[in-house]
Amino acid sequence: MNTKKRGLSFYIKIYFKIIAQDIKSRMSYRADFIISTLGMIATNIVGFVAFWLMFSKFPSINGWGYYEMLFLYGFSLVAITPTQCLLDNNWNLRRYVYDGDFVKYCFRPINLFFYYESEVFDVKGFGQLFFGLGTICYAWYHLALPVNFVMILKLIVFLLSASLFMMAMQTAAAATCFWIENSFYILDLSLKLKDYAKYPITIYNPLFKFIFTFLLPVAFIAYYPSLVILRPDEVPLLSWLSPVIGGLFFYLSYKMWMRGASRYDGSGS
Amino acid sequence: MNRFKKYFALTRAGIIECVNYRMALVVMVFGNLLYLTLIYFVWKAIFASSGSDVVNGMTFETTMIYLVLATALFNFMEMYIVWEMGRDIQSGKIALNLLKPMKYKDYLFWSVSGSFVVNFVFTFIPTFLIVMLVTKGTIAIGINLIYFVIAVVLAVIINYEIDFIIGTVCLYTESIWGINVMKQAVVTLLSGATIPLAFFPEKLRTVIEYLPFRAIYDTPLTILLSRNPDAGMVAEKLLISLAWAVVMSLISHLFWHISIRQVTVNGG
Repeated sequence: MNTKKRGLSFYIKIYFKIIAQDIKSRMSYRADFIISTLGMIATNIVGFVAFWLMFSKFPSINGWGYYEMLFLYGFSLVAITPTQCLLDNNWNLRRYVYDGDFVKYCFRPINLFFYYESEVFDVKGFGQLFFGLGTICYAWYHLALPVNFVMILKLIVFLLSASLFMMAMQTAAAATCFWIENSFYILDLSLKLKDYAKYPITIYNPLFKFIFTFLLPVAFIAYYPSLVILRPDEVPLLSWLSPVIGGLFFYLSYKMWMRGASRYDGSGS
Repeated sequence: MNRFKKYFALTRAGIIECVNYRMALVVMVFGNLLYLTLIYFVWKAIFASSGSDVVNGMTFETTMIYLVLATALFNFMEMYIVWEMGRDIQSGKIALNLLKPMKYKDYLFWSVSGSFVVNFVFTFIPTFLIVMLVTKGTIAIGINLIYFVIAVVLAVIINYEIDFIIGTVCLYTESIWGINVMKQAVVTLLSGATIPLAFFPEKLRTVIEYLPFRAIYDTPLTILLSRNPDAGMVAEKLLISLAWAVVMSLISHLFWHISIRQVTVNGG
């Protein structure tokens, strides 16, 4: 399959070429694009209202102030944006494998995972990104956090490493379709797990703390990385390690995806 | 009778299809349990920090029962009708379904009814029993169970009619995803599926009173949780639900008949 090693610049160049086609084809369905964007905004507004209804009446939850909770919420929204934008084609994988159309991806002289995911770029993700960034800024302002180069660098680095965890979970969940039929429910479950990310892990009991840290790493989507910014005096080791652990989780999910793909032998007619 | 025979044939096919994907069932039950733990811990933290046992007239126990059963109801009522219709429209399969010797609306309802049955047996009943056992008698067992069942039947109808109306919109827009997420966001919030309506501010609640969405989750659950339900109150709630069911099915019927002339199917 993968005959030659290609450089990073080759992949970046080809990525923009492929997604340009996808964006062009989407723009031709203008109504769909506008309605989808409105849908995205509506979902975010409703999520925000729900959050406000639950928490605004109480000064703090489990030692976490309202604005700190809001920060976690915004952080988790931004951290799932790369998954939404870059890996949206994972949702179609099940159908491609089931119908046998997946075979068309197997004959390209570039990385299979890369080629498959680059085919779709979900522009709607930007709506979520802006909403999340707005929430972070709003919370940042109310928490009177300092604004300086180091803080912003920290924010960017830890947002990126948080996003790796969500990407890893979605990729691994999508890859299950190579082994199991009708794996939609697994992917849907892994998407739902993001709802757990916006709460501080301290509200769970030890068993679930363990599960959400090491088995289903949702606590890394907002809680651990945010500690670096919110509570700089009590940052646990796991927070500092989150870029490395994120990389590891993503690498494992990628390997799983590729292993599944190499198992694929075309069931189509 | 003959009519029902063909409907039940569809139900049976749906049941067989669901049971065939056993793995999906396992994941669904597991995911449901995980979700319930999340709800449990979050609301426990909220009640712990409020400093009192009763928040907005609800105790931790009633809030939990409300939300757990709302999730269970959601799991069996959400049949992804809008997705189904959208896909039918986009793929052109709708042309074939329109030719079937049955109204499209009936056909769609009865073909998802199989998963209604499976989800009811595999998620709703176990959840309900667990909740009853764990909370030991917070749910009164009596006439309210019968009212609850009636309210759920009406809720299923209203939910289906709303989905069908939104699905009909897809005939015009040819957009599925956006319409569907918008509907889901609005309905889950305003029906009380994620947060009990008692937690909403007074003004917002007044608005919600006049919308059909509360009949889907809030009405059945409030009836179930009321001890010694007052017959007048229950009758009023059920009549409102019934009225909404009639109104929504009229709207969806008319809207569909006007819109179906719109269909353009790409050949292929």
